[in-house]
Amino acid sequence: MLSRVADSLYWMARYIERGEHTARLVAVKLESMVEQSREEADAAWHRVVGALSAEEFAPKAHDAYTITQALAFNPRNPSSLVSSLRLARDNARQVREQLSTEVWEHLNKLYLRLQPVTTDAVWGHHPARTFREALEDFHTLEGVVYSTLSHNEGWHFLQLGRHIERAQLVSRLLDLHFRNLSGSTAPKYFDWLVLLKFCTAFEPYCKAYTAAIRPEKIAQFLIFDSEFPHSVRFSIDRVCDALERVATSAPPARRAAVERLAGKLKATVDFGQIEELMSGAIVPFLADVTHQCEQIHDSVHLSYITYGAETVL
Amino acid sequence: MQHDALAHTEDFGGPDRHQATHAGRPGRDAPYQNYTLGLPFDEMFTRKGEIHPHYAALDGRLTTLPAGELMRRQQACELSFLHQGITFTVYSDNQATERIIPTDLLPRIVTAKEWARVDAGLKQRITALNLFLRDIYSDGRVLKDGVVPRSMIYGSKHYRREMRGLPVPHGAYINVCGSDLVRNEAGDFVVLEDNLRVPSGVSYMLANRDVVRRAFPAVFRSMNVRAIEHYPNELLSTLRSLAPFHEDVSIAVLTPGVFNSAYFEHAFLARQMGVELVEGRDLLVNDNVVYARTTSGLKRIDVIYRRIDDDFVDPLIFREDSSLGVPGIFNAYRAGNVIIANALGTGVADDKAVYAYVPRLIRYYLSEEPILNNVETFLCREEKSLSHVLANLDKLVVKAVGESGGYGMLVGPHASKAEREAFAQKIKSDPDNYIAQPTIQLSTAPTFVDGGVEPRHVDLRPFILHGEHTTIVPGALTRVALKRGSLVVNSSQGGGSKDTWVLSE
Repeated sequence: MLSRVADSLYWMARYIERGEHTARLVAVKLESMVEQSREEADAAWHRVVGALSAEEFAPKAHDAYTITQALAFNPRNPSSLVSSLRLARDNARQVREQLSTEVWEHLNKLYLRLQPVTTDAVWGHHPARTFREALEDFHTLEGVVYSTLSHNEGWHFLQLGRHIERAQLVSRLLDLHFRNLSGSTAPKYFDWLVLLKFCTAFEPYCKAYTAAIRPEKIAQFLIFDSEFPHSVRFSIDRVCDALERVATSAPPARRAAVERLAGKLKATVDFGQIEELMSGAIVPFLADVTHQCEQIHDSVHLSYITYGAETVL
Repeated sequence: MQHDALAHTEDFGGPDRHQATHAGRPGRDAPYQNYTLGLPFDEMFTRKGEIHPHYAALDGRLTTLPAGELMRRQQACELSFLHQGITFTVYSDNQATERIIPTDLLPRIVTAKEWARVDAGLKQRITALNLFLRDIYSDGRVLKDGVVPRSMIYGSKHYRREMRGLPVPHGAYINVCGSDLVRNEAGDFVVLEDNLRVPSGVSYMLANRDVVRRAFPAVFRSMNVRAIEHYPNELLSTLRSLAPFHEDVSIAVLTPGVFNSAYFEHAFLARQMGVELVEGRDLLVNDNVVYARTTSGLKRIDVIYRRIDDDFVDPLIFREDSSLGVPGIFNAYRAGNVIIANALGTGVADDKAVYAYVPRLIRYYLSEEPILNNVETFLCREEKSLSHVLANLDKLVVKAVGESGGYGMLVGPHASKAEREAFAQKIKSDPDNYIAQPTIQLSTAPTFVDGGVEPRHVDLRPFILHGEHTTIVPGALTRVALKRGSLVVNSSQGGGSKDTWVLSE
C-alpha cells in the first residue's frame, strides 16, 4: 500500500473518531444539563471543554449556547465537529479510489448535511437531537466501513487510527474527571453517570458491576475492561492487532521499532491494577498511556510513511 | 443506495405506454413552448419542426410527464452528483461550498449510421496522427517531402527534441485521445480539435449515463442504447498492451493531486481499473527504475497513465520549478524501464497549424480520403489563403497558432472596422503564425432550461484508445453551452454536459 494512502486512511479514521466523540459529548451534556444545578452544570461543561481541548475557543464561557457553538460549529476550532468532518472528508478524498462508494457517500453526505448548520438553527428545538442524528450517522458509517471495505492493510490502518485516537480521547476524559476528586467542583454522583454515558458505557457497566456507581469501579471498567469497545485497554489491544497486520513485508529492523513500543504499551495496561491507581497514581498513569500512544504514532510514521528511500535501496 | 431519489422515477411498464399519440411541436406544445429553430442544425427537430425518428421515444416521454416532474428528476440527478463528490469547491467568507459540474437531464442521441462514420473517421485520424508523430520523431520523411513545413514542427513549443529516436510500444504515441467534433449547418460531423495531450471528461461520460439511465429507464430500454461501462476495462487493456515485458504489469495513474479540477476523474479511473492512484511525491527513480513508496518498501511501476502535462513530468528535463512530477523519470523512460502514456511530445500534433494539415497527413500516410472533415481552415502561410483571409476578415475567425484560450484571436463578424484593419497588419507581418476559419454554427440539442425544453448548442467528444489495437467505446461526452445562443461549451465558461446515447443497428 502506498505510504501516502496509508497515512490518509489513518488520519481519516482519527478525524472520524474525533468527530463522533465530540458529537457524543455534546449530545450527552445537552441532555443531562437540565438535571443539574447551575454550578454543577458549569463545572461539567468545563470538563467537557477540557476533554475536547477547546479552552481557547470557549474561554471561561459558561453558557451552553456559546460552548456548543465552539465545540460543534466553529470552523476555526480544529477539533470541532465540523472541522473533524471536513478533515476526515479531505483525507477520504485523497484516497477516494481506495474507498467503496458507500463509505465515501456516507461520509460526504454527513459532511454536506452538517456543514451549513448553525447553532441558532439547532437551538430552537431540542438541540441535542442534531447531535443524536449525527451519532446515528457515525454509527452507520462505522458499519459501512466494516462491511463494504476489504479487511486488508488499508482497513488495518483505519483501525489503527480509530483506536489510537480513541485511547487518547478516553484517557483525557478520564483524566479530567479523576484529577480533582475533592472540593466543590469535584464530580458528583450524577457526573459519574454522565461520564459513563460519554463513553456509551452506562448499560455495559451496569451489567458488569450493577448500578452501584463508584468511581474506582468506573475507572476499572473504562481503563481495564478487555471487552468493552470504549475502554482504554480494548483500544490498545486493537492498536496492537492492527500493528501486527500492517506493513508486513517491511524490513524487520523497521518493524521492530514499532513492535517494541506496542508491546510496552500493551504491558502497561495488561499489568496495571486499579488499586495502585486509586491511591493517586491514576493521573500520571493516563498521561503515560497518552505519551506512549504518541510515541507509537511517531514510530509508525517514521517506519512506514516517511522512511528514507536510501534505507531500502 | 446512492440514488434513492432516482430509484422510482419511472415505472417499467414498457416503451409503448409512453408513446404520445402525436409528437410535440416546437414553439407550441409543452414542454417546447420556447423551442425556436434557427440557422443551426437541430438534433431533435427538422427545419420544418418535425421530430427526427430517433428522438420520438424521448419526445413521447417528455410530452406525457406531469408538470414539475422533469424538474424533480433534474434535481435528483444533481443531488446524486453532489453526493458522489463530482464537485469543485468554492471558497467565500471562510465557508467552503461544494458546486457540482452542471449536468443536463436530457440525453443527446446519435444514430448507428452516424456513429459508424464517426468511429471509422476517428480511427483513421488517430492512425495517421500516430504515424505522423513517429515520423517527425525519427526520419522526418513528411518534412523532407515538403508535405508539412519543417519550421512549423521544429519551431513548435510542443516539439520535444528529447523524444527523437526513442521507440514507443506499437508506435503508439497517442494512447488516449478526446477529439472535439461539431456538426455544421448541413448536419455533418466535422473535427474541431484533436486533444492529444491529457484529454479529460470521460468520467462525466460515465457518470452522466449512470444518472440519466435512472431518470428515463423505460425510454432507455426501448432504444437499444449501446453500453459504455466497459471503458475503464478497455483503458486498462490499452495500458497493459504497452508493456509486453512482464506477466504481472504494475500500472498507476499519475495525478497532480486533490486540488486539480479533474481529480474526481483520476480517482474514478484508478478505482474502476483497480490500479494505484499516485502523485509525483509517491514516486522516486533509482538507477533508471521508477518506484512507488509503500508501507512495506519500494514497489516497481511499469506503466504510468499520466494526467499531468509534458512540462511538469520531470523537473530535471522540463520545467525545473515543477513539484508535480518525478525527478529522473524521463531517463527511466528513455532507458525503456517505464512506459508513459500518452508519450511525451504529442502536443506538437494538436496545435492549430498542424490541425489544418491533418487531411493531407491522412492522404500522405494512408493513401485514403479523410472520412471526417476538418472545419475549413485557411493557413495564412499559404499565399492564396492569405489573400482570401484578408479579403474576408469580416466573416472569419482568425487565431494565432501558438496561443490558446481565446488569446491572439479576432472574431471577424463581431470586430470593428478599426480592429480588423489593425489585425490585418499583424497577419501580414507574420502570416505563418495565423490561421482562419469560418464561424461555425454548432448544432443544437434539446436541453432542460427553467422548467421547459429549449435548444442549446452542443459538441461531441468521443474517447479513442490506441495501444496494440484501436478502440472507441460507443459513447461520448456531449458538452452543452447552457446560456441561450452561446457557442462556448467549456465548463469553465458556463458549459455543462449531457449523456450521449449511441444507438445500435
